[in-house]
Amino acid sequence: MPPYDPEKISSQRRVDALVTLAFLGLSGLLLLLPPPVQHQISSGLRGSVLAPFIWTQEALREVRIRAGEVEVLQVQLDSVVATVSSQRTLEEENRRLRSLLELTERAGGGFVSASVVRPGTRGSESMFLLDVGVDDGVRVNHPVVTAEGLVGVVREVGRRTALAMDWTHPDFRVSAMTVDGEVYGIVEIRRGAFREEDRLLLNGVPYHTPLESGVGIVTSGRGAVYPRGILIGTVSELAESEAGWRRSYWVRPAVRTQSATHVLVLTHEEGPDVESLETLWLPGFVFEGLEIGETGIGELEAGELEDPNAPSGDESTDATGGESDP
Amino acid sequence: MSRGFILWGVALLLPILHFLLHVGFGLGARAPDLLTVGLLVLARELRVGAAAGVGFVFGLLEDAFSILAFGANAVVLTVIGVLGARSRDLFMGDSLVFLASYLALGTWLRFALHGMLAGEEVRGELSRLLVVEAPLAAVYASGVGVAVLLLTGAWGRDPR
Repeated sequence: MPPYDPEKISSQRRVDALVTLAFLGLSGLLLLLPPPVQHQISSGLRGSVLAPFIWTQEALREVRIRAGEVEVLQVQLDSVVATVSSQRTLEEENRRLRSLLELTERAGGGFVSASVVRPGTRGSESMFLLDVGVDDGVRVNHPVVTAEGLVGVVREVGRRTALAMDWTHPDFRVSAMTVDGEVYGIVEIRRGAFREEDRLLLNGVPYHTPLESGVGIVTSGRGAVYPRGILIGTVSELAESEAGWRRSYWVRPAVRTQSATHVLVLTHEEGPDVESLETLWLPGFVFEGLEIGETGIGELEAGELEDPNAPSGDESTDATGGESDP
Repeated sequence: MSRGFILWGVALLLPILHFLLHVGFGLGARAPDLLTVGLLVLARELRVGAAAGVGFVFGLLEDAFSILAFGANAVVLTVIGVLGARSRDLFMGDSLVFLASYLALGTWLRFALHGMLAGEEVRGELSRLLVVEAPLAAVYASGVGVAVLLLTGAWGRDPR
């Protein structure tokens, strides 16, 4: 047993105290670092130490898809009926991918397709990783969309990955308008008691222009982030009205963020006209059971789905004709 | 193999398992907070300065997926590491009740401190976090932590 040495113990305690203070100071410094430096640090960690875990999630998703295919083949051997029922998940994924592809084709470039990975760690709620980055033309503030509408926006970009936030993020704000271009406002998130209760709120609507339930809300194109015409959701009900000058409405989001597994990033680079995307969410076009009608977007009954490739009529085209600002 | 060696192995594997479950398998809140459990176990074996360092590294890794409150996990886990190491001077014990309480209290404190530091935008309502979410997460992490440590033989008395 080593002899008791009060000098040595006292010296060790001093060193411990200094090291502890250094780490506490260092961790406190992280909180105060400017956001670009914070982003560099987090990007570096995600691209190095944590990369295997991100790859694991991507690999697992691939495996799940492949396992689904194998399962389908197995079931096909058993019976045709079982095959039909087991293909539903694949059909769902195919349908989503096909709708994304159709969106890309209509946009005529300017989009990059990406897969979504959710980190699932504390503090990363409302954030998701994309498997595209600077090499694919993705930059900070590029909008992320699906065929249903707006998902969120890119916040950080690495060489081959990007970190984006969806509309459930507390920082999410987007200038919006009704599909007819008559009413403008700001769409922002309102947190519910639970994350499942998070809703969008269309704020700043003039008091004397009431909106009906089901009216489609799209991005207005104001500001440099979101081009005009990306579908955000539909008006569901009046949230509040301040006597005589302002109303706000709850908006039913077009995209359920947790179900978005494949997305498109609007890269602003190759598209013919990225200032306006109204041609992509034209009235009369059908997305996932939502139809954009003359007054907005309404839920379609089963069996009412129209052919997405069918040309839209003149009446429906007129519905987005209003370009004038209020 | 000595208990100390196994304890170190398990304590270092727990953070890997944490990121594998949360990020790799995408389980999110459905997976227990094994990062804190690993830190709490390691802190009992380390000196205060080293425990603070381990807490800082663990927190920094967790912060890599956070934008709104970058650094909050690093601060909180550094503090938890220090408190865990200091707890050795205050509480001696290797009973099951002590282990479960230690892990549960440490995890609750981690959630509470992170909630307070991260702000309302990230945590939501503070009272709900302190009374509902943090205790549930603490009991869950403690239960899983105790089970892992007992099953692997990492916790308990060394055979004399």
